[in-house]
Amino acid sequence: MTETIALPQPHELSQREKDDALAAYLMNFAAWGAGLPIPSLNLIAAWVYFLINRKKNRFVAFHCFQACTSQIPTTLINMIGVGMFIDYVLILNRDLPRFFWPYVGFAVVTNLMYLASSIYACVLAAKGRVHYFLVFGRWAYARYYGPHAIALDGSPAHRNLPPAGF
Amino acid sequence: MNFDITQQESYSRSELLLRTLFGWLYITVPHVLVLFFVGIWSAILHFIAWWVILLTGRYPASFFEFHVKLLAWNMRLNAVTWNLADGYPAIGIAGSHPAISLDVPYPQSLSRGTLLLRTFLGFIYVTIPHGICLWLRMVATAFLNFLSWWSILFSGRIPESWFQFNVGTLRWMLRLNIYMANMTDSYPPFSGKPITAAEPVAI
Repeated sequence: MTETIALPQPHELSQREKDDALAAYLMNFAAWGAGLPIPSLNLIAAWVYFLINRKKNRFVAFHCFQACTSQIPTTLINMIGVGMFIDYVLILNRDLPRFFWPYVGFAVVTNLMYLASSIYACVLAAKGRVHYFLVFGRWAYARYYGPHAIALDGSPAHRNLPPAGF
Repeated sequence: MNFDITQQESYSRSELLLRTLFGWLYITVPHVLVLFFVGIWSAILHFIAWWVILLTGRYPASFFEFHVKLLAWNMRLNAVTWNLADGYPAIGIAGSHPAISLDVPYPQSLSRGTLLLRTFLGFIYVTIPHGICLWLRMVATAFLNFLSWWSILFSGRIPESWFQFNVGTLRWMLRLNIYMANMTDSYPPFSGKPITAAEPVAI
């Protein structure tokens, strides 16, 4: 028999759980905090934070996992851009390729979009609510709640529900 | 904030000599290596905590606990390297030392105004005045540490007033760190003395 998992509702969560969940998204700014402009540092910080919290609480672990995995695409995009710059300018001592600046524009737009969605998820997490990111939200949900999670009657104002399709 | 180190009745001369000659190798190097990486993590958490305080008016409880344990680790290391306690200081934030106690009360709410004031003007009203006083006190502490070293070597003891003065220096540094790390809104007193509940200034 499969165990049913109740999706936690905002009023059931402690302030500590909400704070820990919102901090997961703020790991996007880790490189600023450490003063080290390394593109992968945010991902490393988010991963360390996930490792610390993965067994503490399902709600916090879900947010940590979502915040960590959803950083992978932007981190790769940033690393490619920085790598290209280092390779062409510092190692090969050649002019940058023509597609470099359009690529930088693409990277900036992607980062801004990710930043906006992270801030949105961060604000919701602070209220004990869940925001599912594209692809990564479903992945995190499948990992921590799965198809057997149910949304019990929650607070009248907001209810956390599974992502569409679950 | 309560911080204290229990004074031992007698201190080990052999440990004193071992620490003096090889302490850099078996205490300083391993601690500093680990503390370097933990320090980067701590800087990240401080930065994030700053934003959380600004957004919610609260210090995240788990971050707070981490930083208190990190401060306790620093105090363990300082106490042993300053010869205020014998024994090896445990590496890691989960460690403890039987002679050293630290208790920092968790603030239920923090002022956003104080946070901004401290961030942008803290160096004027906190760092400079406390820095000057602490520097002078550190000179006296270094001198007393030197005298204490000889005192332990010859008698196995440290005069209580010297011991309390050096512990007071650590306490003052600790209060300053706690305030500048946004873990309290109470301005640190210009003193290393423990503050009892009856006194109005609380940290």
